[in-house]
Amino acid sequence: MITIENLEKIYKTEEIETTALNGINFKIREGEFVSIMGPSGCGKSTLLNVMGLLDKPEKGSYKFIDTELLTLNDKERSNFRKRNMGFVFQNFNLIDELSVFENIELPLIYNKVAASERKKLVNEIIERMNIVNRKGHFPQQLSGGQQQRVAVARALVTKPKLILADEPTGNLDSSHGNEVMELLCELNEQGTTIVMVTHSSHDASFSDRIINLKDGHVISEKLNKGKTEELI
Amino acid sequence: MFKLNLKIALRNLWKNKGITAINIGGLAIALAAFVLVMLYFTYETSFDKENPNYDHVYIVGINYPEFKTDYAPAPFAVAIKQNFPEVDRVGLVKGSSFELTIKNGGNTLFTSKILTVDCNAAKILNINPSGGLVKPSGDAERLNYLSNESMKILFPDKKDNKPEIVGFGASNLGITGIIAGSIKNDPHSNFNFDGVSISNKLGNRDNYDMNDYTIYLQLKPGVNVLSLERKITDLYRAELLKNKVGGSKDELKGISTFLDPLSSLHLKPKAGNNTPYKILIAISVLGLLILLIACINFTNLSIAQATKRAKEVGVKKVMGAFRFQLITQFLIEIFMQCFAAIILALILAELVLPSFNTLFQVQLSIWHLGNDLFWQLPLILSVITLIAGIYPAIILSGFKPILVLKGNFSTSKQSYVLRNSLIVFQFSIAVVFMISLLIINSQLKYMRSQDLGFTADEVVYIKNISIFNDPLKFEPVREKILKIPGIKSATVATFVPSGQNGVNSYVANGIKANIDFVGVDFDYFETLDIKLKKGRFFSREFKTDTANSAVINESAMVKYGIKNPIGQTIRGCNIDYKIVGVVKDFKTQGFENIVQPTIYTIKEPCGGNKMQIMLKIEQKMMAGALATLKAQWSDINKQDGEDFRYLFLDEMYGKLFKKQEQLQTVFFAAALLTIFIAILGLFAFVKYITNVRIKEIALRKILGASNFQIMKLINSSFFVMVLIANLISWPLAYVLTKKWLSTFAYRIDMPVLPFMLSAVVTVLLTIITVSIQTNKAVKAKPVDALKYE
Repeated sequence: MITIENLEKIYKTEEIETTALNGINFKIREGEFVSIMGPSGCGKSTLLNVMGLLDKPEKGSYKFIDTELLTLNDKERSNFRKRNMGFVFQNFNLIDELSVFENIELPLIYNKVAASERKKLVNEIIERMNIVNRKGHFPQQLSGGQQQRVAVARALVTKPKLILADEPTGNLDSSHGNEVMELLCELNEQGTTIVMVTHSSHDASFSDRIINLKDGHVISEKLNKGKTEELI
Repeated sequence: MFKLNLKIALRNLWKNKGITAINIGGLAIALAAFVLVMLYFTYETSFDKENPNYDHVYIVGINYPEFKTDYAPAPFAVAIKQNFPEVDRVGLVKGSSFELTIKNGGNTLFTSKILTVDCNAAKILNINPSGGLVKPSGDAERLNYLSNESMKILFPDKKDNKPEIVGFGASNLGITGIIAGSIKNDPHSNFNFDGVSISNKLGNRDNYDMNDYTIYLQLKPGVNVLSLERKITDLYRAELLKNKVGGSKDELKGISTFLDPLSSLHLKPKAGNNTPYKILIAISVLGLLILLIACINFTNLSIAQATKRAKEVGVKKVMGAFRFQLITQFLIEIFMQCFAAIILALILAELVLPSFNTLFQVQLSIWHLGNDLFWQLPLILSVITLIAGIYPAIILSGFKPILVLKGNFSTSKQSYVLRNSLIVFQFSIAVVFMISLLIINSQLKYMRSQDLGFTADEVVYIKNISIFNDPLKFEPVREKILKIPGIKSATVATFVPSGQNGVNSYVANGIKANIDFVGVDFDYFETLDIKLKKGRFFSREFKTDTANSAVINESAMVKYGIKNPIGQTIRGCNIDYKIVGVVKDFKTQGFENIVQPTIYTIKEPCGGNKMQIMLKIEQKMMAGALATLKAQWSDINKQDGEDFRYLFLDEMYGKLFKKQEQLQTVFFAAALLTIFIAILGLFAFVKYITNVRIKEIALRKILGASNFQIMKLINSSFFVMVLIANLISWPLAYVLTKKWLSTFAYRIDMPVLPFMLSAVVTVLLTIITVSIQTNKAVKAKPVDALKYE
């Protein structure tokens, strides 16, 4: 579904040029659950941002199914993003002024979904995520795990083809972390493609494939045997 | 989406209740001030606008080498009408020179302003009696009208337009006349009156040497005013030459005419000063600046809160919100606050309006149909929403989602610089106002404490309709007055100090000049306590004093360059006056005007009539003396009869300060408002800053910083900003106040204290404000701050 070729991204400040991505190539099939791992500063977040169309690389090609995304203008990127992608962040990034229901509803509004349809979709996902009794609460009233559930729900509500998760368990304790990982696996099994950046090999073990980055290069790519075996 | 955005906005505003209240409250106060200023501006600039001829009416004025005047000779009006077809109508107007008492049975009316106009002038100036303008029959008939208000006093129950018979002057005189009807007197017009006298033709017997009418022209549309002005000047010179007035052809070259449009008559007449116009402009600028400061608060606080909203922006962008959607969202948020502020402002303005009306002696109101405010307010609302909102909206909507969503977000250096410069700007304006206020105060204090050269205290001015040009006629009146205990002296003159004197041409020492003249009676200088410099005052012991003696002031001495004036001759009004004394200059016309060269004579054939009675009365016996005067007045002065009216001279003179006192009040309000709003903004801003830095403060405390060190840390940047603001505003304030001071002929030297004082006050206020806010952060337990995440 995704083909990335020769991606290069350079950060420039007044004095230093940092090459964050230096000729990245890989492919992701539809329905795959891929983890991107690597030490701090290896470029994994940059890669995720590029994939989420939040950042523009200097060079390379990024094909989503058959569309080249890097040549799109801002508006087209925005449109493409809201139709096809969902995001889960390490620090949840829920809007404090909105309730759980309203937070989840937000992306539907930007996708111009009718109000009655929105209500239906949000209620469905709230049920699925098991947060029905939290629907009217505000983010600060929830635990970290619950907040991340809401964030995942929000990412899912538009039924995106691709979910991009940036260290989704980074701010959670292990039991809440596991909960979120299980949730992602479940989604993946239902057919959603997931790309996740993580530090934790425990989290990575939930995925089908692990891409290792270092200094902006892909240094290894391996199938997650345990997972594959499990599947078999 | 709108609903959700509205929710975000409202919840955000609610969460920051304090800051929201300050934001809206500050803006509301500023807007209230601005609304008042706008009402006043509209009022002052629309005098006579209801006149359908508004754009085509001009005054014909005359430029003399020394001065300009609106007064012109009546025959000239006829000449203009005959010569210039582009002039549609020519009208003559004359104001009354004295008070008139009109009676109907027990009802008495004192008129102080009767306009004498001809039919054309009535048409030009849109003076319409109720029931329509009627042409008087023949040349002699005059139709007299009263203003509606005056009519009400004399005939409280009158419902129709029928003529009425009234009595003029004291009832024992038995003079009667007919009042033809009433006319609406519009206070929002240059032509105010208690009554109007309309005739077919005015000034029939006048010559070119009598400038005692005002000529009004109504031009046909599309006339070139400049070229007409030149043609009228040529005509005027030709007429003067033909009538042998005004000297030789060469001398006439110094005389010209000008056309002054009706629209500039109220604020900046060519023959007069434009102080009211300047004050109006100053007030308008003040209003704008106050509003600007409040808008800056808005901008500043919105940017300050940017970090709090950054996440929201990031998330929304990730979800596909376009930038313009976000800009609209923020603008709508700010619009809501501005809207609330405008509602509050209208309430505030309504509350302050009565005091404002008293101060400026106007009758303004917000709630009347056709008020320009109804279209101005929505406009202001949009403009301030844009001014206050566009920058924050652009900054907020411009956040890069990758940065803000990572959580390691900090406001950019650029907006930091902007925020600080906005604060500096606010304080600069506040400081300018404060310095100006202090300097205005000093000048007014100086004016109140300065020696005027005469004493207005204890002097009572009596309004009178009898003419006492002959000293022998006044003598019995004086005798009777002086019999009343407490009255020290009595005199009569053509003009009272605090008003304008007459101007005439006099020759002395071979020099011809136009100088002020005052016709006086014995005891004039003694009553006013004017100081003698050389020679003597008028005295009954010298027979010649009532024939050809003159007293001049120091300025006249300088004007004519006379070294030893006593015994010298000064010629004017066909009399060779002998100078018997020189008095020290005294400020009869306030502090704006330099003391004019003036001649005082008892015999004054070409000036006004001596009707202004002045008495010096001992303060302790004032009440008794006035009561006795009132009781005996019909015996003392038959023509006034039972209508004894007086004013205290010091109060009349005090009116010359009126405009400046208005200015003082306005600046007091402006200085207070700007400082208040600036401090308000600072308060909210520091509240925000300390919130943001709460973790830093906690860390510093854990690392061993004392409370004082932290206070100093937060205070220092604000301290520097306020100092910079002071440095910026000093030169500005200096130039502005210097300019204002230069409008006074008698003024203080530029004081240093106001500059120092405003610096101290603003710095102190800033430190107090910042410290109050910082204190909370400092007192908080550091552990709590660090735990919070």
